Amino acid sequence: MKCVLRRIGALVKLSLLELWRRNDMFALLVLALVLLVPLSLAKPFGAVGATRYFDEAALLLVWGYSLFISLGIGGRLFTSEFSNRTIYPLLAKPVSRGELILGKYLGAVVAGWSALLFFYALWVASAALRGGDWQPLCFFQAFVLHALFVALATAAALCGSFVLTPSASTTLLAVLLPAMFFFGRRLPEYAQNVSGIARVLVSVSYWTFPHVEFFDMRQRLVHGWGNVDAWVFLAVVGYGTAYVVALLALAHVLFKRKRL
Amino acid sequence: MDDKVFEINSVSRLFGHVAVVDDLTLALGKGEVVGFLGTNGAGKTTTIKMLIGLLRPTSGTIRLFGGDPLDASTRRRIGYMPEIAYYYPFLNVRELLAFYGGICGMEKKLVRSRTDELLEEVGLVDAAKRPLKEYSKGMLQRAGIAQALLSDPDLLILDEPFTGLDPLARIHFRNLLKKLRDKGKSIFFSSHELGETELLCDNIAIMKKGRCIYQGPVKRLAGDGGGNLERLFLDVLEKGGAA
Repeated sequence: MKCVLRRIGALVKLSLLELWRRNDMFALLVLALVLLVPLSLAKPFGAVGATRYFDEAALLLVWGYSLFISLGIGGRLFTSEFSNRTIYPLLAKPVSRGELILGKYLGAVVAGWSALLFFYALWVASAALRGGDWQPLCFFQAFVLHALFVALATAAALCGSFVLTPSASTTLLAVLLPAMFFFGRRLPEYAQNVSGIARVLVSVSYWTFPHVEFFDMRQRLVHGWGNVDAWVFLAVVGYGTAYVVALLALAHVLFKRKRL
Repeated sequence: MDDKVFEINSVSRLFGHVAVVDDLTLALGKGEVVGFLGTNGAGKTTTIKMLIGLLRPTSGTIRLFGGDPLDASTRRRIGYMPEIAYYYPFLNVRELLAFYGGICGMEKKLVRSRTDELLEEVGLVDAAKRPLKEYSKGMLQRAGIAQALLSDPDLLILDEPFTGLDPLARIHFRNLLKKLRDKGKSIFFSSHELGETELLCDNIAIMKKGRCIYQGPVKRLAGDGGGNLERLFLDVLEKGGAA
């Protein structure tokens, strides 16, 4: 067990070091500062109520960044190992493919969560400066569910990288996840308006793809609607965790079947 | 089986309908150094990949230290260096070895002491703090050797280890392998460098189109009078049968 933890620890550290030493992470953080800070501090025409929409826009940007980071990190975890051929000496060591996936995935998720924490801290700081309402429980729920979205998107990108090229996988997920985010809950309505194979496809999509809109608590946070009931929160956490586990299990199967 | 480090029995590997390795039987004893020769596409790398558990044979069996190479714990006793690897460019060689040490489940203190020894051994002490992206091909090869030796393995599997090494590094590496052989380590390496093979190996195996066409002592092939291995290698390949 100690050896397994040591192996996973080494993989987590490698993923974090890679992200830390890549300049694109810094570029993203600088971009976030440049866009988020003015948005959060703006008071259009002195109307305090209007700032809520700026807050919401700022949080939507955070969602965009987190999607970008998750897909970028998750999709690159193994593709660089294959292109640099480091996968060969790595797999010749006493490490199983399951441990490799878990270790690298955890490293990527920890990196994604760190970036997310930074964005949220920034947002809270700017909200505090303006003297807005502070709802710690609601904030906690919003952060946890957003973090779960990051974990899910990273797992999906990791899984996709075993079957598609990195760019194809990232593009597909960059379309699919936002589509589910904005339109996922309306899919049954669309299904009513179409027929035949299209109806089947829409219905299958509704029941198969993750409903990432469940993880979105922006409006509750911005408009001060308060937290959701604990059982709802836990149900969504369970829902997201189930998807993450299923995607990692699928990634493991794909990795085992991949020709090296 | 006790004195065998690995045993490959009637192993074939197909890619589609093409047999890249065809009915190969090969074994390596403790403390033995075997050179694995053959032209490009002869099936050497595929054999090595099956030996270290990267590929599953289509038929036949492979036993590594009496176990299945697909089982991660069996690979604890091997060190492998691939033909070409661009090790993590954002790490330096110390960090690289610390990472592989962690992967092998080694204690940090042991990794540190082994790293000091190995950097000295492969001549990378002065470049230890430079990121690997600044390394030349020969330096990367030496970093590869260091990672293969990190856990002090009983069996060293090297895929084209002399590629990219300058003459001085080549001599240094040959001496290192001789030292390991004298320590009783088993070494299995593929190579196109017939001169190095002749200087290092007890036995050789020659592959042609997935089949092993010669297995035996280097001296038997080269002749006790010390014939030229290159000429004899070509003879065996042309005949294409067992010598």
